[in-house]
Amino acid sequence: MSKKFQLSRRTLLRGAGALMALPVLEQMLPGTARAATGPVPRRLAVFYTPNGIHMPKWTPTGTGANWALTPTLAPLAAVKSDLLVLSGLANFPGLPDGDGHHAAGTAAFLSCAKAFKTEGTDFKAGISMDQVIARSLAARKATRFASLELGNDAGKGIGNCDSGYACPYANNIAWAGPTTPVAKETRPKAAFDRLFAGFDPGASQATVEKRRAYGKSIIDFVREDANSLKTQLGSSDLRKLDEYFTSVRDLEKQVEAIEADGPSCNPGTAPADNEDPRVKTKAMMDLIVLAFQCDLTRVATFMLANARSNKVYGFLGLSGGHHTYSHHQKVQANYDALSIIDRWEVEQYAYLLQRMKGIQEADGKTLLDNSMVYFSSEVADGNSHEHKNLPVLLAGSGGGALTPGRHVRYNGAPLANLYISLMQAMGVSGITTFGDNGTGPLPDLK
Amino acid sequence: MTPRLRTRRSWQWLAGAGSALLLAGCNGDKLPQARVLPGEDGPGAETPPPPDTQQPVDECKNAVKDPGRVTLHRLNRAEYDATVRDLLGDTTQPGRGFPADDHGYGFDNNADVLSMSPLLMEKYSTAAEKLVDAAWSRGAFATCALGVANPEPCARDILSRFARRAWRRPVTPDEVDRLVAFVALATRHGDKAEAGVKLALRSVLVSPNFLFRIEKDPDPASSAPHRLNDFELASRLSYFLWSSMPDEDLLAAAEAGKLDSPEELEAQVRRMLKDPKAQALVENFAGQWLYTRALDSAEPDKTLYGAFSEDLRTAMRQETQLVFREFITGDHKLRDLVDAPFTYVNDTLATHYGLPPPGSRTPVRVELSTHRERQGVFGHGSLLTVTSNSDRTSPVQRGVWVLEQMLCSAPPPPPPDVENLPPPIEPNMTMRERMALHRSQPQCQGCHRMMDPLGLALENYDPIGRWRLQEVSGAPVDATGELPNGTVLRGSEDMRRFVKDDPKLPACLTEHLLTYALGRGMSREDECAVREIAASAEASGGRLSDYILSIVLSDHFTMRRGETEAQQP
Repeated sequence: MSKKFQLSRRTLLRGAGALMALPVLEQMLPGTARAATGPVPRRLAVFYTPNGIHMPKWTPTGTGANWALTPTLAPLAAVKSDLLVLSGLANFPGLPDGDGHHAAGTAAFLSCAKAFKTEGTDFKAGISMDQVIARSLAARKATRFASLELGNDAGKGIGNCDSGYACPYANNIAWAGPTTPVAKETRPKAAFDRLFAGFDPGASQATVEKRRAYGKSIIDFVREDANSLKTQLGSSDLRKLDEYFTSVRDLEKQVEAIEADGPSCNPGTAPADNEDPRVKTKAMMDLIVLAFQCDLTRVATFMLANARSNKVYGFLGLSGGHHTYSHHQKVQANYDALSIIDRWEVEQYAYLLQRMKGIQEADGKTLLDNSMVYFSSEVADGNSHEHKNLPVLLAGSGGGALTPGRHVRYNGAPLANLYISLMQAMGVSGITTFGDNGTGPLPDLK
Repeated sequence: MTPRLRTRRSWQWLAGAGSALLLAGCNGDKLPQARVLPGEDGPGAETPPPPDTQQPVDECKNAVKDPGRVTLHRLNRAEYDATVRDLLGDTTQPGRGFPADDHGYGFDNNADVLSMSPLLMEKYSTAAEKLVDAAWSRGAFATCALGVANPEPCARDILSRFARRAWRRPVTPDEVDRLVAFVALATRHGDKAEAGVKLALRSVLVSPNFLFRIEKDPDPASSAPHRLNDFELASRLSYFLWSSMPDEDLLAAAEAGKLDSPEELEAQVRRMLKDPKAQALVENFAGQWLYTRALDSAEPDKTLYGAFSEDLRTAMRQETQLVFREFITGDHKLRDLVDAPFTYVNDTLATHYGLPPPGSRTPVRVELSTHRERQGVFGHGSLLTVTSNSDRTSPVQRGVWVLEQMLCSAPPPPPPDVENLPPPIEPNMTMRERMALHRSQPQCQGCHRMMDPLGLALENYDPIGRWRLQEVSGAPVDATGELPNGTVLRGSEDMRRFVKDDPKLPACLTEHLLTYALGRGMSREDECAVREIAASAEASGGRLSDYILSIVLSDHFTMRRGETEAQQP
């Protein structure tokens, strides 16, 4: 079921759609909120992978520009000069009370906030750095979508998620606020349709305005409904109603953005839904590239699988589950299995980087040059559940914010400080602390 | 902070387990603590109650009656789909395209963890437009003519009827006026009245009155219990039994003020359980309680267990669903799930189990009097598969499942970094030798002495539920487990008897059912109510319908209260 995207009239009149991986003509740039000659935007993508990494096969030996790829990082050979390997960072807010390292670590993955231990009632973590950026970009009306949340797994839907920690902690890395996880889209086709829906090629201005007015009238109606409930609800209920108001506000922005013309870039064909992790991950990576390329959003997060995932990677010749292997108990066979999975994960990340490197932007640089692509996991070693010496990769130059091609060693610096640097690079103003332990920007990224 | 009810369960009868370490949480004179924050005024900080559920009834007699409260409850995906099916006759299941619902306390209808997100709101908005257009095309709203000259009376009729059903309560004249106003809006933009009515219908479906199950407190800041109004109660009932909206019969009963009467409630429950919509209990309650849903993602090792096929996966799922379905309207005691002497198999599954094939591709009901090893849910391939690892059985997972889902006395999670404690497993060890490692560690043995034997007693079932006498290595299976009190379970039959005779079983069945019925987790404050409901259900016959009635007639189900303070951790 693939639907060819209809090019907007404006684009057709210009005579051609820009093809991916070819230089984008200046007048073909998406006409969202910035002049065609304005600066090319910076983007941030996050690639989360669960259960940690077998570190002995990951960490390079040399530092600075003088370092060599390790067995697990080998798939990054083609983008080595675009890569920062950041060793020795720690995220201690991810430490659980008792057990629950995966859920607590994942809740703190982008928020650096300690998750409150509960199986459901009163769950609470912190706002995640991607959502801080999304909020700041939304205030600047930068793009049609403030952020894009993608993931491969919907959630297992039975039992408990992790040792007394609520499932939202395990299944989300994006948090709009301490009690508001941002749901992710787990179907590539639905994500594609969402990105490129709401355009009405060939519609007259009057029709477009009418659609906006109708959409707005529905929003006004339901907002009034929600307001009339306020006085009769308790505080927990009001929290849920706040989520509703926030979501309605977001919908309102979508309605206001209804245009006759779609993004002036060619999205190609919608991906088919396919549950094979190889196909699905690639489709998700392509969607991130497309969303950035068309400037529909500048912030994207992706969960390769949910926390504590016990996925069986049969196509890698493995028979055990990922989480089971990660409790390796120092058995070599488990180390080997983990390294195979780790390497596959790095390959997926490498695919994303290579796609981004192949796209040239209006400033003559590549999409990767203008982006920061972050890769990590909620723990380092999955057996001892370390929240220090985390496996951290950062690719791209972030439009000059980073100097890649190096291996940098830190001595336990908080991950939150890296996020402060990333948020600053993304134009968030006045951010000097973050999460439970962020004290300022991380040195030595440039 | 809401500690789980089960943290109250005493492990007293483990006395003598002998662990001197406080970490374990399963030693005889300490309650499990790992689920409770240190420093909280949780159960770990007080003296343990007497063993299990056999507390003196007096303690509950004098307890303050507190029905608790349920947070504003967003419809989950299953509820959304069932509701639009019954509201509009739409069977396209748009919910399958919504982001997954998180689950809490074992169920995905837990109001506290059902969040609303911008993405979901977009999906609701898109779905509403599609649903309305499709229903309009089907002629679902062609009850009157929207005349050009004066469309308003017809629009008013359509919209007031629809909103009443969609919002599951009477609508106010003001609400109807606001809906009818869409007609004028459409006309102003040069569209027909129809366009306005459709906009109004879409608004109804995106309104919080539709998307949430709203229960109001006269005084949201008061903790005094009050009875739900009849419409709120009707919705609790229909979403419990059907995962869907009240039908006309139930709505009319609410409008007539009849739901105050226990007799009427009972009549409604009996009527509703007979309705095909009660299949929702199979899919949503049993599918999660018995872990059947996890079968969808089970991936047994293809090399070792290549016999596992998609046909088998389907047959296993059907088996558990059909067996549970018999309990909804049948005369079985709910506890008989543990050793029910019948099941449903097709040829594929029968062959897999070593039963005579019934000569059918579709499941057939068969008696198990001569195949005792398949009696009850512990003989179901679905459960045996989802509690195994992909390449071997897991006595620990099976044991924990029994303790958690049947006896509500699961141990706390292992202490932090327990993985570094046991000596490495040698690949050629038998399962028994592996499990023995747990007992070599004082930090582990307290809990594992309870979990492992229950799982070991099921060792004759391989990771895909086949009966076996040998482990993969060729070593003979030894399916005996010794419980901490010295009881020896020799195989699955002993284990079934042990579980069925456990006095904790009725309260545990109640706890899971009540968690699902209310859409909230149980805490210590609910313990007396759980016990009373269980006792009254067992006294009336112990069938699933007795449990359901006992819940529906309880204060927990018919009442609620406000919140005295903002619950911020």
